[in-house]
Amino acid sequence: MDMQNPPAPETVALLDGIRAFVDPAHVRTDPDSLLNYGRDWTRFYTPNPLAVVLPDSIEQVQQLVRYANDHQLALVPSGGRTGLSGAAVACQGELVVSLERMNRILDFDPIDRSVTCQAGVVTEVLQNFARDHDLYYPVDFASRGSSQIGGNIATNAGGIKVIRYGLTRDWVTGLKVVTGRGDLLDLNGGLIKNASGYDLRHLFIGSEGTLGIIVEATLKLTRPLREPSVMVLGVPDLDSVMSLYHAFRSQLELSAFEFFSELALRHVLKKGLHRPFDGETPYYALLEFDNPEQASTDEALALFERGAEEGWLVDGVISQSETQAKELWRLREDISESIAEHLPYKNDVAVRIAKAPAFLAEADALLAQQYPDFEVLWYGHIGDGNLHINILKPAAMEHRTFIHKCEAVNDLLFQALQRHGGSISAEHGVGLTKKPYLHYTRSATEVGYLRAIKQAFDPNGILNPGKIFDR
Amino acid sequence: MKILVAVKRVVDYNVKVRAKADGTGVETANVKMSMNPFDEIAVEEAVRLQEAGKAKEIVAVSLGVAACQDTIRTALAMGADRGVLVETDAELQPLAVAKLLKAVADQEKPDLIILGKQAIDDDANQTGQMLAALLGWAQGTFASKLEFVADALNVTREVDGGLETVALKLPAVITADLRLNEPRFVKLPNIMKAKKKPLAVLKPTDLGVDVTPRLVTLKVQEPPKRQAGVKVDSVTTLVDKLHNEAHVI
Repeated sequence: MDMQNPPAPETVALLDGIRAFVDPAHVRTDPDSLLNYGRDWTRFYTPNPLAVVLPDSIEQVQQLVRYANDHQLALVPSGGRTGLSGAAVACQGELVVSLERMNRILDFDPIDRSVTCQAGVVTEVLQNFARDHDLYYPVDFASRGSSQIGGNIATNAGGIKVIRYGLTRDWVTGLKVVTGRGDLLDLNGGLIKNASGYDLRHLFIGSEGTLGIIVEATLKLTRPLREPSVMVLGVPDLDSVMSLYHAFRSQLELSAFEFFSELALRHVLKKGLHRPFDGETPYYALLEFDNPEQASTDEALALFERGAEEGWLVDGVISQSETQAKELWRLREDISESIAEHLPYKNDVAVRIAKAPAFLAEADALLAQQYPDFEVLWYGHIGDGNLHINILKPAAMEHRTFIHKCEAVNDLLFQALQRHGGSISAEHGVGLTKKPYLHYTRSATEVGYLRAIKQAFDPNGILNPGKIFDR
Repeated sequence: MKILVAVKRVVDYNVKVRAKADGTGVETANVKMSMNPFDEIAVEEAVRLQEAGKAKEIVAVSLGVAACQDTIRTALAMGADRGVLVETDAELQPLAVAKLLKAVADQEKPDLIILGKQAIDDDANQTGQMLAALLGWAQGTFASKLEFVADALNVTREVDGGLETVALKLPAVITADLRLNEPRFVKLPNIMKAKKKPLAVLKPTDLGVDVTPRLVTLKVQEPPKRQAGVKVDSVTTLVDKLHNEAHVI
């Protein structure tokens, strides 16, 4: 459908059928909605949804799914659309199903320390809700203000506290899902222990909207960190980053261990932030640890001294207040946003931590050789073995050409990754961008089982078709 | 030139402050405490003056419980040379603080005293002014810029109508406003150095100051909860609500 022209009569009829059970005001076809709901944070697909529907109840979601089955309509479940792999992109006339109106927190149990909410609750709203009850929802990342719980679950979102708290998967104790058949499944019911057969909940976590539409979730909460301290260390090389990780992790309970390169830092400095200390180092490590006692500061200082003696670090700062802790975090967290204008090509790979130095060295050499003219930025959650590689588009280069050049090197990069037993997607998901490379991480036999699962939950293939793998 | 900087230990700016259930004060148990942000700016300014060769020595002073030593150590790590803690568990009100600081100033004989314009816990904004009066020194409050011109210190002040610049003769008292500077991060090697810097501990009685509170706190309570906003569906409804409910137009 051309977004500029009025919809064809058969489209009008199709949408009128939906308007019979969803408030017509929430079945949208205006160009702004089609553009905004048709894309995520990847910016190289042309959004082209048929329409955007915003249901406000589980029943409406079920009706929509059944209607889609009856009319062979493709649905794209939609959360905050902050994804980076195109899983929420609607570029082939799909119907976008936005959960944003289903944004209520339904239940809170201080004894269970759990909260039940609708899928459209924004991550930060949930985090603040927990904080108001002296609790903590620890899955956290820079897009917290836009991303939604349903989307977090559908992508098994990770973020900056994984080293201590794990992924979204570790916090979901219950799920309500409308499957591709239109059935409502109530999975695990908030239980900690439940050994009664297959745990389907975990199939939907990370399914990228291809098996069902997540409509409700029960999430665990935990105690907040009491006095998190943040250190930023200046590091001469990638090997030293790993040495520091090993040394600090063996002595302190780290809640984050991130790294970024000087090249990446320069982009956030352009946005008005200050250097952590005078002087440049090729890499920086950001560590966070809970620091309620003086003992952990002393331990951190001793480790710093040792790092200096070993030559693993050149300099470093430590936060003296929460304000400073937040300022230091911004040096890492703001990178992604600060480079957005350069339309970066993003790779988000994972290796076992022990394999990280060898893979890094190989990948670094490969990228330097293949992209002599491109600016390549490294940063990531190195404590999780998760590296973000961002290649910035030279201003003069046409976007398509740039993407093709980047994709050409992907095969070499992923071959290296395969040799080190890594994954082509650590936390961004497969969506559209990584679909051609899935075979580097999953065997054909395994993908066969994935297809069989898809077939069981979504026999007509109406849910997010073409994402993760082709039919 | 010798500079005295006053630093206060307060509930961290990012902590959501809660009133104690019995209304006697603010909950501080298990709450993150940090240096008053305006005092951080004061320390930074002193350190910059020292780095510019204007100041020879910086003494950081804090008044209060033993844990205020942590706050002084932060100032020492930022660049102050030594610390003085006047230790007391008593509640210290601005006049008592000003008297204690005057007593310390009488001993230390600084040329310049820099304080935050106010502390973010009680927001009193009185100590600097009272201290200048007790000492009989010039005062430059709400400073956003300091500049030495010949033997005068030009202080740019943020006032309601804009900026005002006053020329002070030393000795003087300066209170730091938000835009005076942006404090640096504390380097880890400097934290280690700060541990070895001298920190003297005195009692109010050593200084001959009576810190007994003059004011009585009747009750501390949280502000009433704000009503959640509502979305309206038309301009007419909005105008109607602004007129008939909010009474603002």
